[in-house]
Amino acid sequence: MRIARIVSQAIFLLLFVFLFLQTESTGQDELGYPVKIFLDFDPLILLTSFLASHKLTAAFLLSGVTVLVTLVLGRVFCGWICPLGTLNNLVGGLRKRNHQSPGVAWRRIKYLVLIFLLAGALFSAQLAGLVDPLSFLIRSLAVGVYPALNHALASAFNTVYEANPPVVVDISEWIYARLRDPLMAFRQPYFRQGIFMTALFALVLGLNLHEKRFWCRNLCPLGALLGLLSRFALLKRSVSEGCNECGKCATVCPGAADPDSREYWTVSECYNCWNCDDVCPNNAVHFGFSRRTPGDRLDIGRRRALTAGLAGAVMVPVLRTDTVLGRGNRNPLLIRPPGSLDEGGFLERCVRCGECMKVCITNGLQPTLLEAGLEGLWSPVLIPTLGYCEYRCTLCGQVCPTGAIKRLSLEEKAKTRIGTAMVDRNRCLPWAHSRPCIVCEEVCPTPEKAIWLENVEVEDAKGRKLTVQRPRVDLELCIGCGICETKCPVEDQPAIYVTSIGESRRKENTLLW
Amino acid sequence: MHRRDFLKKAIVTGAALSLPPGMAQFINPAWAADAVDLAVVTGPSPARITQAAIEALGGMNRFVARGDVVVVKPNMAWDRTPEQAANTNPEVVATVVRMCLEAGAKKVKVFDRPVNDARRCYIQSGIAETVRSLGVDVPYMDERKFRDMSIKGDALKSWPIYTEVMEADKVINIPIAKHHGLARLTMSMKNWMGVMGGSRNKIHQKLDDSLVDLARFVKPELTVLDAVRILLDNGPQGGDIADVRKTDTVVAGVDQVAIDAYGATLFGLAGKDLGYVRKGHESGLGSMDLSRMVIRKMTLLG
Repeated sequence: MRIARIVSQAIFLLLFVFLFLQTESTGQDELGYPVKIFLDFDPLILLTSFLASHKLTAAFLLSGVTVLVTLVLGRVFCGWICPLGTLNNLVGGLRKRNHQSPGVAWRRIKYLVLIFLLAGALFSAQLAGLVDPLSFLIRSLAVGVYPALNHALASAFNTVYEANPPVVVDISEWIYARLRDPLMAFRQPYFRQGIFMTALFALVLGLNLHEKRFWCRNLCPLGALLGLLSRFALLKRSVSEGCNECGKCATVCPGAADPDSREYWTVSECYNCWNCDDVCPNNAVHFGFSRRTPGDRLDIGRRRALTAGLAGAVMVPVLRTDTVLGRGNRNPLLIRPPGSLDEGGFLERCVRCGECMKVCITNGLQPTLLEAGLEGLWSPVLIPTLGYCEYRCTLCGQVCPTGAIKRLSLEEKAKTRIGTAMVDRNRCLPWAHSRPCIVCEEVCPTPEKAIWLENVEVEDAKGRKLTVQRPRVDLELCIGCGICETKCPVEDQPAIYVTSIGESRRKENTLLW
Repeated sequence: MHRRDFLKKAIVTGAALSLPPGMAQFINPAWAADAVDLAVVTGPSPARITQAAIEALGGMNRFVARGDVVVVKPNMAWDRTPEQAANTNPEVVATVVRMCLEAGAKKVKVFDRPVNDARRCYIQSGIAETVRSLGVDVPYMDERKFRDMSIKGDALKSWPIYTEVMEADKVINIPIAKHHGLARLTMSMKNWMGVMGGSRNKIHQKLDDSLVDLARFVKPELTVLDAVRILLDNGPQGGDIADVRKTDTVVAGVDQVAIDAYGATLFGLAGKDLGYVRKGHESGLGSMDLSRMVIRKMTLLG
């Protein structure tokens, strides 16, 4: 069984990584792979999105499969499938054996986190994505780990390329040519908070050195949800009279199920890996189907549960009424991806998985820090100085798992405003310095250009008369894509820039009447 | 000056370059077709008019020798489809590539440094697919292969230029004729912005001089101007089919200034209306005086 489990974990991890790497444009309009499918199978995301938005996304019903599987087989998702669980397993392998189980107090945390999130969701705050294991993993990889790995690889090859040692450079370039397309990013990605995301990820993996699968045992809210369901699972573990309490099984249990103790055996902490069955010298452990529902030792505690639920509920008004950290904060720089729902609906759905940031063709989509308030932490924002919104690209809407960003057709995309550009006349070359430049007009992608040029006769510093073309924005035509800002030659602080005013998704942010 | 020698002198950074052997076949014999300055062919098939225009100049063998490495530089700078006339017509590109191969080219390279995302430009322009069907790769430009080169122009003193262009045995320019907000029209000379690295958005401050410097520096063997569809307004990117006019024409020649001067007439302008054409003419890069040229005009019905 151990081999089968390892094969299953390897397959799902490889599939996950493969789909992650495919979350990148090929130049075609469609992405071609169902890159978000792991998220579609995540019942925590389904449940919290449903509670927060009262809407069911069709794709998410796939997570019903996960629920059904758990009701039959128990927490096999954690033991056999979850890519973060597999990574925790791998890192945990560096640690020889666990200490005595530190008791139930730590185990409860994940249930309290779950209750907190569900209560928050019930009152329309969707924060599950911050700690959902799949969202956490994709986000950490997309924003932190992958850019760093890509940078490391590229620098290694570039160093050899620049040094140009005979023969070695040929070998290095041969390998580079083969690695580049399947593994490396088309362009080196850069992300704000990348260091922080990598550090958080390293912390979660590092906790395995303190206790194997620390995250899965103590913190994971999806594990808690599946644990609750697994109490009713049909597949049951039983221990026969042959057990002499040698304790071998306790050393191989990845969960915190206390398999060596009949009295303290905890079904909701069992990942159904069957390690205990494999290792038992007396062959006393059996897994089989039965309808008997045993009680579960892990008692969350009514008061604790109530407190967590209340905290989740109270958090919502507290978050919303703060003018700086709350939703009331209307940040002009909060430029959402095209097709985003109005801010309320958006925050009810966005699970911060980072798929849109990974797929963004220009690397312009970045995680927010406080631009959208604390409630909007790590949701996507377009930073045009880093990358603009490509006029005919609709990838972010294609990969969004919850519909926070709607999937747009090219025709809809062309009509979707994400903000409005305005010229900074004090910095613009023709406006302020009588120097020719039309770059913003040249790159403006609307069929009838939203930037027009006004011919004006001016004098330069020496008093010579010359005609310059001053860029002017047509508010009716500008869709706020930001390419003018990205490509403006005044690079440090562009002389034309986009803010969210005029965005189609928000009535209260309208400019024109 | 030989292109490779030129490059060797031009490289500012002093990167080591190896001079491959066998570069003698460069000196042009006197070609009979030298008599034709410009070939202008009109007809419904982009492939056939392209082929006819090059043949009118003496055929591809005049420009490409057996064993040459040839760079073919289309304009595929924009995320637009062929009908929108923002990128060179894919059939024109494929025909030039095919003729290079038939002339015995060892390797043909097709690339551009786009303004929009390169992946989308390569695919949406239709050029990547059409050229790959000939068995020729259309690679993305490698950021590492731009080297600061000494251009010694009036405006451009030095700039990062794509080394593969300068290392090639032969270079062929295949731009499309389009409207442009500052240059008025963009055709062959401005197409060389696609081999510039760095922040090329800064050269607009001295655009006309820079374009002449650049065209003189790159010095292509042959230019084929795609005017199958021309973009009359909202260029160089377009997007509205109403701004596109189908002229079913290809103009081929050696003199970049002459090509652009002729191209201007397709828009009802003259070469002297374009600053860079005028400067190219005055500085001796080429001639905009169409009346003194042998222009071979043909119409193909099929």
